[in-house]
Amino acid sequence: MRGRRIAGTLLLLVLLLGAVVGTYRSVRPVDDDPARRLAAELRCPACQGESVADSRSPIAAAMRDVITAQLGQGRSPDEIRTYLVRRYGAEVLSAPPARGWGLALWLVPVLALGAGAFPAVHAYRRHRRPAAAGSRPRAADAVVRPAGPSRPAVSAGRVWTAGAVTVLVLVGGVAVAAPRLADTSRPARPPDPAASADPVPDLLALARTMEEQNRYEVAAEIYRTALHQQPADEIRLRLAFTLIRIGQAAEATRLAEAVLASRPDTPDALLMLGLAQRGNDPTASTRTLRRFLDRAPGHPAAAEIRHLVGSG
Amino acid sequence: MTGQVGTGALGVGLAASVAATLLWLRHALSPAAPVRSARLATVTALTAAVVACGALEWALLRHDFSLRFVAENGGRHVPLYYTVTGLWSALDGSLLLWLLILTGYAALLARTVPAGDRRLQPWAMTTVGVVVVFFFALSYFAANPFHPVSPVPADGPGPNPLLREHPAMGLHPPLLYAGYVGLVVPFGYALAGLLAGPAGRRWTIPARRWALLAWTLLTTGILLGAWWSYAVLGWGGYWAWDPVENASLLPWLTATAFLHSIRRPHAAERTGWPVGLACASFLLVLLGTFLTRSGVVASVHAFTESPLGPILLGFLLLTAVGTVLLIGWRLRVPADPGPSDGTAPLSRSAARTFGPTDAALLGNRIMLTTIAAVVLAGTLAPLLAEALSGSTAAVGPAYFNRTVVPLAIGVLVLVGLAPLLSPAGSAPGELARRAAVPAGVALAGMAVPGLLSRPGPTVLAAFGCAGFALTATAVDLRRRLSGDGGWRAAARSGRLGGPLAHAGIALVAVGAAASAGYTGSVQRELAVGESLAVSGATARLTAIDRAGGDTGMTVRARLALGTTDRPTATAVPELTYDPRHDLTVSSPAIRTGLLRDTYTTLLAVSADGRTATVRLAVNPMVSLVWAGGALTALGGLLALPTTRRRARVRSGGVSGESARPAVPAAPGAVG
Repeated sequence: MRGRRIAGTLLLLVLLLGAVVGTYRSVRPVDDDPARRLAAELRCPACQGESVADSRSPIAAAMRDVITAQLGQGRSPDEIRTYLVRRYGAEVLSAPPARGWGLALWLVPVLALGAGAFPAVHAYRRHRRPAAAGSRPRAADAVVRPAGPSRPAVSAGRVWTAGAVTVLVLVGGVAVAAPRLADTSRPARPPDPAASADPVPDLLALARTMEEQNRYEVAAEIYRTALHQQPADEIRLRLAFTLIRIGQAAEATRLAEAVLASRPDTPDALLMLGLAQRGNDPTASTRTLRRFLDRAPGHPAAAEIRHLVGSG
Repeated sequence: MTGQVGTGALGVGLAASVAATLLWLRHALSPAAPVRSARLATVTALTAAVVACGALEWALLRHDFSLRFVAENGGRHVPLYYTVTGLWSALDGSLLLWLLILTGYAALLARTVPAGDRRLQPWAMTTVGVVVVFFFALSYFAANPFHPVSPVPADGPGPNPLLREHPAMGLHPPLLYAGYVGLVVPFGYALAGLLAGPAGRRWTIPARRWALLAWTLLTTGILLGAWWSYAVLGWGGYWAWDPVENASLLPWLTATAFLHSIRRPHAAERTGWPVGLACASFLLVLLGTFLTRSGVVASVHAFTESPLGPILLGFLLLTAVGTVLLIGWRLRVPADPGPSDGTAPLSRSAARTFGPTDAALLGNRIMLTTIAAVVLAGTLAPLLAEALSGSTAAVGPAYFNRTVVPLAIGVLVLVGLAPLLSPAGSAPGELARRAAVPAGVALAGMAVPGLLSRPGPTVLAAFGCAGFALTATAVDLRRRLSGDGGWRAAARSGRLGGPLAHAGIALVAVGAAASAGYTGSVQRELAVGESLAVSGATARLTAIDRAGGDTGMTVRARLALGTTDRPTATAVPELTYDPRHDLTVSSPAIRTGLLRDTYTTLLAVSADGRTATVRLAVNPMVSLVWAGGALTALGGLLALPTTRRRARVRSGGVSGESARPAVPAAPGAVG
């Protein structure tokens, strides 16, 4: 019997040692990829409940790109986080910052646990020191906590008052806040282009990277997303150029014509239109490209186009 | 025609529910008043809800696009099954289902009259009746699905394609609603306990079995929702701390705490916990209804923006204030000691000591309530912050993982302690002897994975505590099974429910911790013939198929899976574009195994169709989450018989002490 007990205790001690060593080893995971870790704790602003690391939206890809690039430049995760918050708004943070209302949120578990445990511990200690035999609990008091033989620490009335004040404050707060919520929820959703939440520059940078890697289809997809966010002529023309490269001339023609309709004789738009027309309508293409050369003789592409038109 | 029938049924239901509420109130105020008319009105309301649901279902099946709801959510191309589930795939129809379940509960509650609560039932019925009136009015005036549309369309878009992906759609919403709505009955009994005077003290006895029923259904509903999320959404997880998921978890937490708070009725009747928890559960149900149906939160589970928000919010706030004032009024009125029977239970409860079991139960209440408070705060904070300061900050998984997970591990420890403690207390040596084996398993559960891999301290703590809880519960279960009459008697008496539910929770913890700690995933653009590998699983792209139909365009990637180069299985994840909703849905392909799931998702296909972007993930032990959840629900189901037996014994006048079986108490046990 005694031998068994000693053996059992020894086994428990060995297991305890193993558990302590295992936990100690486990504190630092091996595959420590800082870019992935940072991306995992950021939320993709265009999705519902997905992290930047997991999301497949172009914005998340752009953000992953930014994170990798900036880590490569030696910036700290905190700096990158601040940069991304400035750019996309505070909603990209998965956990609230420990200041302002965010701090209040972090205090909720502590306060709730304390509010529950304090009266309980108090009652328990009173129970350990039984009150004088004569003090029987009054019914109204006993309603609050499992009190044992002694009077509970907190009276029912006080608990109710505290609870009622909390609920009424909450209800009042919600009642005041609700109409405003209804007002703000709509304009707040599509982000104000002038404000910080502007993914377009990152998207454009990502698309250019894709172009450099000759992944034009992906680039075109990202340009489409960017165009959706911000319908700008420059993006239309970039998209048109990418589309010409992957042979989707019809859509490129439409895009270039759309730009020309609002800003006639824009050299870049003429250039794109001319290039897009080359497959279907070579005469129209030559005409358009000559107009381009008239408008912008000093354009970086002018020499090449002159060669093209001259030979074609 | 169908439209008139439906609208008429809603009108009749509204009138009948108003009548039922008033008749039950009359019966509550003067017990001599006849109860037949009240019952008749309640059953009429149920019939009206059945007719309304039937009319809408009929219109969906007949493709009657002259009704707004069918025009918006029906479609000739939708398969029969998803046409039937179309009833609850949008706001107005789901309210009808809600009404059907609510009136069903009301009719059930109107029928059963245990001898002991003749005074309580009318008050509970009045409370439930008010809720029924509200939802009938909501459906009739604000969300009537039977409104006609004037140019009648030839075809509809069908339900949201995400809601047509998985057969769980037919079970998850009805079960979740049944659990949600079922919490109205304990709420009704809690208010009845406050309103009925001295007779109301015993309200927890009839309330318990309703709460258990609702809790079991809610557990199943949440589980199916997680499964749906895992199998349809394609991001590889099952719980994202999404506001709507949180809204379903909140009442579950408080209902669990409620069930534990009435474990020892004599101690509990004297505290404010049961009343508070029963009321909180239903208020949280209303909050969840508000969050999903008002459009204030953007969620994959939420319905779109609707005008119901302010109405639901108003009802929620009114109910909250009313409940608080009622509780206060009762507590302030020097609680009637009830000259006839008031002193006896009081002296008995005074004689009872506050033992370790009570301490563990109290700890359980505090922990679960704290978790609920944290989840509530995290869910509401972004809304309040946006409304008050215009900040768009969000509260995501990082917050919940850092706050809820440690608390949940604490709850696991209590689950493990529950069968070790005895109500009267035991000597430290005795306790240590009983805890030795569970503690050994717990330490081994930390040591082995900790020495072989590096999952992180949180996962290891979860493994350890779950091992502790599982072993302690298993020992307890074995003792209960070997008692008099074998397992049949044990099952019939309901004594198995608690330990089974506890074991289920511990299994869920193991599965959740393992799938959080050991998931490996990789995603890459593959050409046909190329492969990618992670955590010992390999997927080789063998073909990309395209198929176009009038319902949309589908692209499938054929992947050969295998742990080595030899393929052992095929997985076919697909991408479907639905032109009617302008939505692309990615359906993952999941190979479920006992120890790990191989989860493949098709993310994108290049325009020329030669390469596909594929994500391959290995999620270990996700099956344990489903198995544990099912075991938990089974535990709830098995705990049900006890309630009836105890209620009968109690109402027969036998005191709770002698009715308690001579089993060493399992204080945390649900049953």
